[in-house]
Amino acid sequence: MSRVSVAKKANTTVSARRKKTFMLLTMVAPGAIWLILLRYLPMFGIVMAFQDYKIYTKAPSLINNIMNSNFVGIKNFKFLFMTKDSWVMIRNTLGYNTVFIILGLLISVTFAVILNEVTKKFVAKTYQTLMFFPYFLSWVVASYFVQAFLDPTNGLLTHAMQTWGMQPIDFYNSTKPWPYILTIAYIWKSTGYSVVLYLAAITGIDATQYEAASIDGASKLQQVFYVTLPHLKTMIIILFILAVGKIFNADFGLFYQVPMSSGPLMPVTQVIDTYVYRAMIATQNYSMTTAAGLLQNVVGFICIMVANSIVSKFDKDSSLF
Amino acid sequence: MSKNAQMALGYKKKRPFNAVSVPAEIVINIVMTLFCAACVIPFIFVVIISFTAEESIRQIGYSFTPVSWGVEAYKYIMKLGDQLWLSYFNSFFITIVGTILSVLICVLYSYALFRRDFKYRSFFSFFSFFTMLFGGGLVPTYMVCKQMLGLSDNYAALIVPLLVNPFNIIVMRTFFQSSVPEELIEAAAIDGSGEYNTLFRIIVPIAKPGIATIALLNALAYWNEWFIALLYVRERAKIPLQYLLMQMQRNVEYLAKNSANMGADAVAAASKLPTQSLRMALVVLIVVPIAFAYPFFQRYIIAGLTIGSVKG
Amino acid sequence: MKKKLLSLVLCIAMSATMLAGCGSTGSTETATESTETTETAEAPAAEETTEAPAEAATLDTSTPVTLKWYLHGSTVNDDKAVMAKVNEYLGEKLNVTLEPIWGTWGDFDEGSTLAINGGDDVDIYFTCSWSADEYNSFAKKGAWVRLDDPETNLLANYGSDIWNITPEVLKTGAEIEGSDGYGVYALPGFKDFGTQNTWDINVTLLEKYGYTLDDIRNTDYYGFGDILKTVKEGEGADFYPLLVEGAVLERMVDNSIIVNGDAGSLNVLSYYIDPTDVSKDLGSKIVNKFATEEYKKFVEQTREYYLAGYIDPGCANKQTANDLRTATQLDGKYLIGTQSYALGYEVQASAERGIDVAFVPCTPPYVDKTSTQGAMMAISTASKNPERAMAFLNLLNTDPYLMTLLEYGVEGTHYNLNDDGLVVFTKEHDNYQPWRNGMGNVTLLPPQEGEGKDFFTKVFIPYYEGAKAIPAFGYQFDPTSVETELATLANVGEQYALALSVGSVDPATALPEFLDKLEAAGMSKVVDEANVQLDAYFANEQ
Repeated sequence: MSRVSVAKKANTTVSARRKKTFMLLTMVAPGAIWLILLRYLPMFGIVMAFQDYKIYTKAPSLINNIMNSNFVGIKNFKFLFMTKDSWVMIRNTLGYNTVFIILGLLISVTFAVILNEVTKKFVAKTYQTLMFFPYFLSWVVASYFVQAFLDPTNGLLTHAMQTWGMQPIDFYNSTKPWPYILTIAYIWKSTGYSVVLYLAAITGIDATQYEAASIDGASKLQQVFYVTLPHLKTMIIILFILAVGKIFNADFGLFYQVPMSSGPLMPVTQVIDTYVYRAMIATQNYSMTTAAGLLQNVVGFICIMVANSIVSKFDKDSSLF
Repeated sequence: MSKNAQMALGYKKKRPFNAVSVPAEIVINIVMTLFCAACVIPFIFVVIISFTAEESIRQIGYSFTPVSWGVEAYKYIMKLGDQLWLSYFNSFFITIVGTILSVLICVLYSYALFRRDFKYRSFFSFFSFFTMLFGGGLVPTYMVCKQMLGLSDNYAALIVPLLVNPFNIIVMRTFFQSSVPEELIEAAAIDGSGEYNTLFRIIVPIAKPGIATIALLNALAYWNEWFIALLYVRERAKIPLQYLLMQMQRNVEYLAKNSANMGADAVAAASKLPTQSLRMALVVLIVVPIAFAYPFFQRYIIAGLTIGSVKG
Repeated sequence: MKKKLLSLVLCIAMSATMLAGCGSTGSTETATESTETTETAEAPAAEETTEAPAEAATLDTSTPVTLKWYLHGSTVNDDKAVMAKVNEYLGEKLNVTLEPIWGTWGDFDEGSTLAINGGDDVDIYFTCSWSADEYNSFAKKGAWVRLDDPETNLLANYGSDIWNITPEVLKTGAEIEGSDGYGVYALPGFKDFGTQNTWDINVTLLEKYGYTLDDIRNTDYYGFGDILKTVKEGEGADFYPLLVEGAVLERMVDNSIIVNGDAGSLNVLSYYIDPTDVSKDLGSKIVNKFATEEYKKFVEQTREYYLAGYIDPGCANKQTANDLRTATQLDGKYLIGTQSYALGYEVQASAERGIDVAFVPCTPPYVDKTSTQGAMMAISTASKNPERAMAFLNLLNTDPYLMTLLEYGVEGTHYNLNDDGLVVFTKEHDNYQPWRNGMGNVTLLPPQEGEGKDFFTKVFIPYYEGAKAIPAFGYQFDPTSVETELATLANVGEQYALALSVGSVDPATALPEFLDKLEAAGMSKVVDEANVQLDAYFANEQ
């Protein structure tokens, strides 16, 4: 090969590569523009977490307000760490989220896998539709349903316990059952959603792989372990990493609405988000909410970066970026 | 696998090749039935309450077997008249347009991220992921959308704020990773297929279940959204159903909570509302249409489900 | 890893440049705006000081102006007919076009606070002591124009008609510490500004058991035991004679007052009033009300009633207690309830519940600062035409035609007047129902059917003008320096206050725990701060 032709070939590949890069850039462009406008542009507001936010009376606009507000350092973060109760809410947030992540993962993957084994398509579809129903109901509505069972005077469970001659439990006053109730409520509401994600990933698996495995004499269980799960691996890991990033953010509705924001239950239901909400009602201080949100996300970000770097050491393909 | 069990279940036809054993399937069915019952019973309960007379709720609380039935709640909602149908239309409109646009943007973005040979792959991955955690918060976003982008009192205000969801981008990329063999793209490139051609002619058909899933999630997000309407839309002709009904519910709740501050006329207004059954009737009106739309998406998600059938 | 770092840096750089870019464009934009506003704002003021310092300035109405007006609690689906007439009238009078934003009960809180914080161009906001755009805190943030600012003095110049006829208590009640010093930051509406806590008595049931209203009047909360016992035994286990709102009950029994500025759901601070003479000075000192003997006695008694089955356990459920209360009232399944009284409510309550209802007052009606701030109109600092806004508010609150048109709609379309001149609403009224108290001076309106011909002049005005102000009425707590503590205290309060006040927890263990936690959360610091401010207030008064 002569030098000329090598150079020529290199040229065409360079221009082809450039063209490819350009085409791919046009693909990300709409999304990227949206992200810049609706996500990155408002980020200047993060400054408010460190400010005593005031309206600039001479010419009020958000930007003027921010530019003319005083910086107060970390004062807006202090309310999160004032008392011993801070520990309780952090413990609850982390504890519940850890249980939710692990249990949620196990149950939804299992459900997706076994749903895949239901031979009648129609039945599988029905299951899947019904499973999604809790997703439609808000936590407020769910909380009324829970109350219908647990109400101290009219509750179905209260009545049942009375007829069986048991001492009825005053549910909204006793902390013990609530970790279980909340976990069940979470699984009930979120499973349908994640099952869909896993199911769609399973559907993408080439059916011939199962046939091949079957012909090789693999049992159903072995097929799950050697065909299905490896295919789901990336999805599982990605969803896991994303969940880890939200480990300091609790589902407000679950912890506030479902226990009917009952005071005596707060030792087991108080999480960071409910604490911030209650503080916000009392002070109407927007900077404090911004500060709390920022802190939650910074910690979440660190968690994700750690998790992601561990994953990418072992399996580059499954990492986030 | 006993014949008796098969008979008992009424399986007359041959079971598909490589199907799970019959006892195992029975167990699966029991587990699924129980879980699904738990999922759907609360909804049935909601429907029952929505048709319960308010006196019955006052007497015995929420119950599966109310003392008396009634349609006060629905009558109250029907008072909205034409506004209700207008809002139904708005909801359908923004859900359909929004879903199409958001799926398109999501597929394009995540496909580029899926491409290992994309030079800025990790930058744009991080670029979208980063916004999952950090944002400017409510007030700055409101300011940017309303004052800079002009998202106020128009359909765009209801569609644009939900167009991109980084979570969906990441999930969609994962769908591509787990269902699209990379050799396919290389092969297409060698055949001289353009990038867009490859994506829409070759990749999209393969990734249908994933796309349908993302479409479903987007459609649900659009259908359920009301807060954005609260923020950006004041013109009653443009408000979507979810917000119209939410407004009703929030009014009822606010009145109940603050009536002490509002004087006698507001107290009177509060006590006349069919609060408890109304709350549930609103849920029914919101959930039913989207629940019926669900099987449409499901067609694609479950399509290749049954293992035994070879794809043709 | 390097790549990730690089991308992170890029991201930050991008948002930084965007911030800079948008910051600079934003500031130039607003800089021009601000010069405009100052020009228009200062022009009449300058005239006033140079030419006619003693008299009110004349309003410059040469240029047409649009005023945006954010209201609360409206049910308005169609305002075209009304606004056509309103704008015709206002155009003639003030050269103003009015654009109301009909905030509803459910969306006002989010909508208004975002509009204020985000700097929307709204001219006038409804504000008060209990909505999210709370009068005090937003005055401090700089959201409202000070109406009696010595430089511009909008009130004296363009609002003197209404200000001269505003009752003195409302004027004093509106004075607060704001972004421009101590003064008036919003125009208070003449509405039911008195507070009177009453026992809501089911007379029908009471008399069934041979008691009379005097048996209630002659005793107090601690003496209800026998009556409650008799009725509970007579009506059965499912009947709960005491129907209470925890927070209200506590205030009624202990005669404690809401301290203005101590916002939020908790109201940790209080001092006490004399139930027979509400304006008598008891040497007011602000206390942590949960640590007092009175509170201890109250929660112990309540616990006793709760255990005896006099109080429905549902009252302790914060989310549904209101539903329960309304439902139980409508069923008439209670004996004694708590009610923050509104004039004429017994007639309405009796009709609704199908029983004979009476309200037995715990104190005469009194005026505290919180209740005088019950419904106000503030001019936003974002308004480009504060003079015209003030002139509009002045006209609205003194002109019966405009007030009636905006509140009741068009005569013949939304309402008709009957032979006595009372308002009877038509079907069309369903589409146009602004909230009456949220509009302004209600006494300008013709009374509605059922209220009686002289309702406002003979009943309403004398009742509320007769209400006495509590001691230290003008005092307002400024929470700015203890916000961190209040945020924590609010959480502690949520955990215990309601449960203790309805008796669902045992005070023997819960009360000491509660007090410990309050202390740990900085209760003393807040109380001390409040007292320092109270002393300063008294020193200033003398």
